[in-house]
Amino acid sequence: MSTVKSKKLQVGTDANSANNFTIYQPATPDGTLRIGVGNADNPTEVGQFNANGYKPAIAPAFSAYNNGTQSVSASTDTKIVFDHENFDTNSNYDNATNYRFTPTVAGYYQINTNVYVANFGGSWMRIWIMKSGSASSEFDRTITAGQTTLNGSCILYANGTTDYFEIYIRCQGGSTVQVGANDANLMTFNAILIQQA
Amino acid sequence: MTLYEKITTLYTELTDADFAPDTGTIMLQNDSDGKGDYIKEWNHPTLAKPTQEQLDGVQ
Repeated sequence: MSTVKSKKLQVGTDANSANNFTIYQPATPDGTLRIGVGNADNPTEVGQFNANGYKPAIAPAFSAYNNGTQSVSASTDTKIVFDHENFDTNSNYDNATNYRFTPTVAGYYQINTNVYVANFGGSWMRIWIMKSGSASSEFDRTITAGQTTLNGSCILYANGTTDYFEIYIRCQGGSTVQVGANDANLMTFNAILIQQA
Repeated sequence: MTLYEKITTLYTELTDADFAPDTGTIMLQNDSDGKGDYIKEWNHPTLAKPTQEQLDGVQ
């Protein structure tokens, strides 16, 4: 048995450094094993192993909520405002202007939402998980009066550049309704990368 | 008064079916961008899309 002691091990010798990988220990050891793309002299980290397992360098995930209320006109498709964040690991959620998630890593995302409707008096309600302006998944609830919560969850692909996700609601008929009830747990929108493309 | 309420006041013959997603001919939307409700699509076979002046005149 032989032991090779080195801080860096390059895998591959292709002329294009992007086709090679480097396994290395950081300059200041911290209990991690890093994996990078590129030659040993200048790898770009894509992930690391530590005592808890594998951790990718970039793994978009966010959790947003609305702890106030929002008025929604009857029979009008309306974007839900989730203007507060619990976390946003890759700064991909816009909680100030567009209230949308634009992940910068291509892959498949688990997307979840729940929306509380306080005072409905129409015929039915629907929430949409919108992908880049088009409905991707929709969740209906038939109720003619009172309060309810609509929930939705799905897995969608994002190209990592232009695709984005938003939540819209439609309250058919009746009059203007209030969504939210000053409770962050009643109005949530979150997503996580589950597999890179 | 919301846009929906103004339109249904202006055209009392309209029903919920006219505003239904997928099957309706009138689509209203609000992108929560501060611009309020707007008519995204108006494909009603007999009623003309109301002008802003008409909408403003509805009390």
